Amino acid sequence: MYLPYSLLQTVLIPLIMASFTAFVGRKVGKKAGWITFSTLAYTTIVLCMVGVEVLRKGYVYEEYVWIPILEVKFGFLADGLSLPVALAMNVTCAALALFSVNYIEHRIEIIYGHGEEKNFLYAIYHSLFLVFPAGLVWISLTTDLIVVYLALELIHIPLYIIMYYFGYVERRRIALMSFLWGTAGASVFFVGVLLAYTQTKSFAILSLQGLTGNPLAFWICLFMLIGILIKMAVFGFQAWLPWVHAEHPTCIAGILANIVGIGNYIIARILIQQMFKTFQMLSIPTMILALVTMVYGAFLTLAQDDVKRLYACSTISQTAYSLLGLASCTTLGIVGGIFWFISHAFGKCILFSLAGVLVYQLGIRDMKQMGGLAQKMPLTAVLCILGSMILSAVPPLSGFISKWILFSGVFLQGIQSGLFIFVVAMLSMIATAFTVVYTFWPVKRMFFGPIPSNLKNVKEAPLIMVGPLLALALISILIGIYPNLVMDFLVSWAENLKI
Amino acid sequence: MSLYFPAWFCWIIPFVGAPLIFLAEKINNRLRDGLAVSLPFLSMLMCLMLLPNLLTQNYFEEEFVWVSIPNLKPITIGVLVDPLSIIIANVVAFISFLIMVYSIKYMHGEEGVARYWFMMNLFIGGMLLLVLANNFIFFLAGWKTVGLCSYALIGHYYRDEPKDWIGGPPPTPYQTPSQCGLKAWIMTSVGDIFLLAGLILLYLYSGTVNFTELFQTQNLWMPTLTATPGMLTLISILLLCGPLGKSAQFPLHEWLPEAMAGPAPVSALIHAATMVKAGVYMVARFLPVFFYGYWVGGFNEALTFFILAAYIGGFTAFLTGTQAMVSLELKKALAYSTMSQIGYMMLGLGIAGLNPKALILGYVAGIFHLISHALFKASLFLCSGTVIHECKSIYMTDMGGIKKEMPITWFLMWISALSLAGFPFLSGFWSKDAVLASCLTAQNYWLFMLALGTAALTSFYSIRFMGLTFHGDKSNHLAKLEKEGEKLKEASPLMWIPYGILTTITILVGVTGPFFESFIHHIFESFLHETLHLPINGFNSEPTTHLLVPLASIGVFLLGGIPAYLLYIKRQISSEKILTSYTSLFKIKTFFWNRWYIDPLYNLVFVKTILKLRPYVEKFIEHPMDVAYNVGVPKLMSYLYFKIRKFQTGILPYNMLYILLFIIATIISLLVVWS
Repeated sequence: MYLPYSLLQTVLIPLIMASFTAFVGRKVGKKAGWITFSTLAYTTIVLCMVGVEVLRKGYVYEEYVWIPILEVKFGFLADGLSLPVALAMNVTCAALALFSVNYIEHRIEIIYGHGEEKNFLYAIYHSLFLVFPAGLVWISLTTDLIVVYLALELIHIPLYIIMYYFGYVERRRIALMSFLWGTAGASVFFVGVLLAYTQTKSFAILSLQGLTGNPLAFWICLFMLIGILIKMAVFGFQAWLPWVHAEHPTCIAGILANIVGIGNYIIARILIQQMFKTFQMLSIPTMILALVTMVYGAFLTLAQDDVKRLYACSTISQTAYSLLGLASCTTLGIVGGIFWFISHAFGKCILFSLAGVLVYQLGIRDMKQMGGLAQKMPLTAVLCILGSMILSAVPPLSGFISKWILFSGVFLQGIQSGLFIFVVAMLSMIATAFTVVYTFWPVKRMFFGPIPSNLKNVKEAPLIMVGPLLALALISILIGIYPNLVMDFLVSWAENLKI
Repeated sequence: MSLYFPAWFCWIIPFVGAPLIFLAEKINNRLRDGLAVSLPFLSMLMCLMLLPNLLTQNYFEEEFVWVSIPNLKPITIGVLVDPLSIIIANVVAFISFLIMVYSIKYMHGEEGVARYWFMMNLFIGGMLLLVLANNFIFFLAGWKTVGLCSYALIGHYYRDEPKDWIGGPPPTPYQTPSQCGLKAWIMTSVGDIFLLAGLILLYLYSGTVNFTELFQTQNLWMPTLTATPGMLTLISILLLCGPLGKSAQFPLHEWLPEAMAGPAPVSALIHAATMVKAGVYMVARFLPVFFYGYWVGGFNEALTFFILAAYIGGFTAFLTGTQAMVSLELKKALAYSTMSQIGYMMLGLGIAGLNPKALILGYVAGIFHLISHALFKASLFLCSGTVIHECKSIYMTDMGGIKKEMPITWFLMWISALSLAGFPFLSGFWSKDAVLASCLTAQNYWLFMLALGTAALTSFYSIRFMGLTFHGDKSNHLAKLEKEGEKLKEASPLMWIPYGILTTITILVGVTGPFFESFIHHIFESFLHETLHLPINGFNSEPTTHLLVPLASIGVFLLGGIPAYLLYIKRQISSEKILTSYTSLFKIKTFFWNRWYIDPLYNLVFVKTILKLRPYVEKFIEHPMDVAYNVGVPKLMSYLYFKIRKFQTGILPYNMLYILLFIIATIISLLVVWS
């Protein structure tokens, strides 16, 4: 069954419901979270139906006229690449919407106290929350460059406001920092978009294919890539990410990981699919940059004692895995890179939210003050191990097979391109050994050993918080056991890729 | 139903059943325990159903598409039933079942029993998957699964209470179970990363992940691979890193002694009988590919695989044998011994590829020793669990003189220990002889001497740990316990029957040793030579009956055994006095006690240094970048802002001037562009 206007609905309904929630939230307060969740549950179902259609027909395309006189149109394309990405974004956002219900209440109580009328704060949070999935899904489904840019900017508005209202100690400064970095990345990307427009006279992503042989193509590709790399917090542009993750309310941390990771999708959709020959020129430097980021991110993660910063720094390293795969410019690497990004989105949502669970239940973030929590919070401990297993590519979770495919592509490029790239591939594989250390060492620090006396009365988090995370872990297990849930899509897309 | 169902169900049953254990616990503990033990029982039945295939030589493979891969063949999920997988799967399933039975009593009343059963069942499923997988992705999935279970079970007592610590006594540091689990997981994962790289390279060159196809198509891919000099050597090294980690061989061996922090049945099943043999299994599984590559294809680099396996195996056997001689903890002595014995297996398999004459002998020796060791070492660990449980101490020096109280355990443990020591006509004697004989057949006398020397060490430490545990006078610790009203008693039948069965089979295999060896020799000869067509250079006979080998073997048994007997059973000489009198011996003992300083070195380089350098990444890289971007840029902006603001005077004539200047500049720009 395929609903009419399905793709439009997945973007428009969250935006409409955002306005609705803004009004209704003032009445229902905390319960507004359920409206957010229901909306995303609905769009998830719609996307699943679209998925069936994509598997049947190869793609689903919808085009709408925005300004008839000027013939301004915008299109949505669900194909083997965009559909799994959009679905992963939507599912993780839905899980986090549910997780947020209790968490944001806790933040509001801490920041604004118990007594005041706080319903408007719930309304702000839950309505703005819906802009994230709308933006992320729009980026995934759009066929227009300008929409990619606009959606990238759009996402940063709720990020700024949510952090400003609900973040931690330095929330106002960091909210601004986050907004400026986001805008900087989007702006550099926009320079590329404008340059492309001067050549193609179109904002359609597909029109970029006409740039083959154009002397400006390299610069267009470079600007777009740098813009995305700023957003992806690769080495050199990573200085904002640990701050932002440390200061925002943890219930949107997973979304921030998605915002960082969506850069991989943009690279695949725009630079690889449309401008492959040009992107290939940047392949080697990007691979090296990815390797440096993987190693540096790993060391930086090892240096952390703050559980929120820990997973923030690991995002730097993990996102670079996908970048490495994409930069290898092999079909296997590209597909593996996107698969890893999807898998990582689940893992990182679990781990970041788990940091939130700890903050919620313990009121502390410093791992030096933790220990033995598995006795009191067994479910949380299991979630932490499952999240770590995704990142460390342990079966039966989805990280296992995605890592295999990703590194097959990276090594393939190494074999084809000679010793230097082979060494890069080898070093990047060795760098993944750090993942086991920086994911499982914190498990020991937080959950094993004797429990400090001040934490003896700690209890397991409510089901509404751990339940959605368990669901994400189960989805990851499901994908790990039957990877074709994702791979059938990606393969159908990759087989038409002209590389 | 497919005829191949036992090969599927034997690993699917524990996987599917494991989560149900938590549900069963909600009903009652008996149901939980019953379910937990019935799953490996069913697995064992399934594996037994595969045994007739050994006799009929009906080997098969069945697979289904699992994941699509762009531009390449889809990866399948499948099972491979051949002599290697049938034998190992049966060893795993049988020993697993017995150990699970033992665990009922051992874990009774402990906390986290459901978690224990869950992880043990997951382990059994993972191990059987590893063994029966027909391709190396599922092999790797099983491999990682057992590693994860090992991590969880070593750290079973994750609360790290002092009673669960191992190591010591001071000044030697203690280690907590969670620390030990993490060490094992990280160290084996390092090996796994290299293994993954090796497997991916093989996949890319061969275009397949299927073991059979990999072998059958090597004429096609091996020339391409070897066209890049060093590539096959690199792949050999990378592939071997996995087994070196998993089977605790030098230089990735340092995790296994600490793995003894887990409950005794875990040590018996995972860290003695099965998981640590996964590396040996892997070498055996890949052996035909490299053997064919070198001896038929003529690709010289393929020999690296065998040279490394043989020499690392031989060296590890000796290295860890020396450490077992001085260990104070009973389970740790057994752990060192496990590494040493796995070294023998690696040596056997390595030798198999160094000379075609030794192919069958070496291969059979490796597998025979694997079976024999799995039986007696599982029994030894289960016995040690009983003893440690009763004596309430991990140190052998806290035991002594308990044979009267625990006669059954004493007897059964002696039989197993003697088998380990290579006492004539027990299973260990024949299987170790087979390894020694294969070295002689391959005319590798250095490795033969090394293996023979290690046999003397084995005999010494086996009799030593038996002497210290059961003989002589009772220790002060036991005397104190007795004063406190504690009474040592024999284990419950539910505990000793499993290790009684294992010991009985050890005796049976020992009594029928030459026939048993001949039987598996025949199976593998037919498989390797007739089915896989591996050349054996006309050497097509029954196992060699070199008289030199059993004689030398008995000689070294006595060489190591007699001093140990005098020191630790008769106690005619005091080992302490000897060490005090001879400082050089004391220095050697200290060297062995400190694990040849390899563990402290690893600790210094990989743990202490990283912990020390940890803050510097933040301090010297991240912080300066953070300051430059997030402080420097805003400061620069405000500086520019203040400078530029000076132009905004608010005085009309100045503003008019700026406008005029702007117009002039615009006209000039337009003229330049226009021209």
